[in-house]
Amino acid sequence: MTRLSTEQRPESGVSDAFALLSGSNNRLVSLFGSLDEDGTRRVHYMVDVENREYRLLSTVVTGPIPSATRVSPAATWYERELHDQYGVEIEGHPDLRPLLLHENWPDGVHPMVDDTSHVPWAQRQYPFLRVQGEGVCEVPVGPVHAGIIEPGHFRFSVVGDTVLHLELRHFYTHKGTEKLFQGTPVGNGPMVAESVSGDNCFAHAVAYCQAVENALGISVPPRGEAIRLVGLELERMLAHIADVGALCGDVGFTVPAVYNSRIKESLLQASARLLGTRFWKGVAVPGGVQRDLSADNARELREAVSFAARDFAEMAEIILDTPSVQNRFESTGILSADIVREMAVVGPVARASGITFDVRRDHPYGRYREIPLEVPHFHYGDVLARARIRIEETRISARLIEETLDAMPAGAIGSPFPAENAGEGFSAVESPRGELLYWVRLRQGHIARCHIKSPSFQNWPALPLAMPGNIIADFPLINKSFNLSYSGCDR
Amino acid sequence: MIFDVAQRSLRSESVLISVDMLLCNAQGGRMPAVEAPRLNRTIAERVVACCPTSALALETVGSHQLTLNYGQCIGCGRCIEVGDGAFVPTEKFTRCGVTKAGLVHRWDVDSHAEILTDEPAMTAAGEGIRALLGQALNVREVDAGSCNGCEQEIVALNTPYYDLERFGIHFVASPKHADMLLVTGPVTRNMAEAVKLTYAATPSPKLVVAVGACGCSGGIFSGSHAIAGAVDSVIPVDGYIPGCPPTPAMLLTGILRVLRQHVGNRHPSH
Repeated sequence: MTRLSTEQRPESGVSDAFALLSGSNNRLVSLFGSLDEDGTRRVHYMVDVENREYRLLSTVVTGPIPSATRVSPAATWYERELHDQYGVEIEGHPDLRPLLLHENWPDGVHPMVDDTSHVPWAQRQYPFLRVQGEGVCEVPVGPVHAGIIEPGHFRFSVVGDTVLHLELRHFYTHKGTEKLFQGTPVGNGPMVAESVSGDNCFAHAVAYCQAVENALGISVPPRGEAIRLVGLELERMLAHIADVGALCGDVGFTVPAVYNSRIKESLLQASARLLGTRFWKGVAVPGGVQRDLSADNARELREAVSFAARDFAEMAEIILDTPSVQNRFESTGILSADIVREMAVVGPVARASGITFDVRRDHPYGRYREIPLEVPHFHYGDVLARARIRIEETRISARLIEETLDAMPAGAIGSPFPAENAGEGFSAVESPRGELLYWVRLRQGHIARCHIKSPSFQNWPALPLAMPGNIIADFPLINKSFNLSYSGCDR
Repeated sequence: MIFDVAQRSLRSESVLISVDMLLCNAQGGRMPAVEAPRLNRTIAERVVACCPTSALALETVGSHQLTLNYGQCIGCGRCIEVGDGAFVPTEKFTRCGVTKAGLVHRWDVDSHAEILTDEPAMTAAGEGIRALLGQALNVREVDAGSCNGCEQEIVALNTPYYDLERFGIHFVASPKHADMLLVTGPVTRNMAEAVKLTYAATPSPKLVVAVGACGCSGGIFSGSHAIAGAVDSVIPVDGYIPGCPPTPAMLLTGILRVLRQHVGNRHPSH
């Protein structure tokens, strides 16, 4: 299980957190609030210390707290969320505009501390940043987009075709998920977790289950861990194969786009046939998994995965060799390693910019504790690097699945977990988009608090920093190369 | 390179699924079906107690009646687990593109009999479909707050397995080009205004289909403070496709069924 050390010294929580955050090898993982039964508000800082230990520092909130954004810019959205949800005043934050709560939400109602049974509809104003100067035009896009994609708002300030500045406005799909978790029976948690970001539903379910297991001290039998690994790596393959295809679609290279969608669908159908679920929903439960793979089914799944991986590798070679693809992908949307570090960017996007952090290797969980992991990285930080990292990771995921299915441990797939339970726990997994974290507090068999750190919430603020100097027509491509979840971010 | 691609593409075998195999195919969609003869009151009480979204309910109307509102079902499989054979996973699901009332199944628990509604099942054969469409159908997909699960399945309709274009059905970029809005997700408070504006921008006659447990009922997000409600609490809806998410085949079945219900009368009420 993930190593987690907790320090709760009310007076020094904030200053200790700031001291940790200013360490050059430390990274802000998450920043969130909680409410005790007696009404005490707490703020928690989760810090990854030197890529080897997650440390949680907590403090009681009695008045305004100083902004961590000054120490780590990665804290900016977290503090805006904290301000919205818990009404915590944050001193010295450069931008405390509402984040989750839009114009329709009345001032002074903070969903995580106030009664939200009847919230009236309001009409507030939201001031966008203004970029001014000769020849500067503003191009608003969304929330309803042209493709079959999720809603969000992008506001470009351009001079001619060149983007000067991009402002994001998200949280159109904010569903109050963290509050919805509260009061849910622990056993029903995976259903909510699976609905946070549909294309990463299994990673969310596993992260939730591992947090519960961490809180209650339950261990998962080896066979259950093996099946989880297969599901997690299969989900990564699906995401990466679809992303590489969609990148081709965005540069008008239709055949590989369609072909990759076909490979992805073949894997979904294999899961439907062999497990009865296309996206592995309903598979993960606290204690393990609730669907087993017979020897025949494991063999068939292995064949489907191997075939898909070979097919994709061939197609990927063609894609990377195509001059028109190289022309559009290369040096487009460069995200520097400095920005990755400052914004604590995670996942394939970080690895494409030369930062090799991977939860599976650096904070191993489940079956990953027993296997060596190859973590590929590229240095250029452009669309091409983000495409290539996905191609490499697909190959590695397929191999992990094959090796796991070849040596499936025998035995049970789950451990029982007590119905009446209490505790706090935490777990991180490497989802297809990067570090995904669940922190749970359980009381009498129910969830009292569940915080989700999603890689999309972490990475979205970095996207606008890859835009300046690029032409607006390249935005869909750059955005796709990040491939962030709106729902996963908005929750 | 382009030649490599063309060659590779020609070499691969067709994976196109025939229409008859497609309609109502719910494999991997996790929808439960009920074996009415095995139903009894103990089982009914047990499944109602474990249903996380209250899709199952037991009423006493003279006799004991069990209702299953597919619009609320997220396919978690709890009822199958505890239902002692009375609830089974199904690979054929017919109630796609039905009216709101058509989402609800009803059984008399005491007599083990289904109480039938007059909602006809979708059994359209392949040859009927071209006649049904007559011309192309332009669909605008609107994510009103979905988790993106439904989007994945809608995108899958364009893969070579389903090839939606063979029916003349296209996804279009603007509501102004659309005949039908396919709306997913519980409508969030933050999307309610955009959904209304999108509906208003779609020229009449128009059809609206609510997709997924969330679109049909709010699904697992019912009761959240950040949700405005199901799609029909914000704009008028002509048909419902349940599922979490509905499989591509269920989506296709639903779209065709809504068309059939409204053929020649593309906008009955609004």
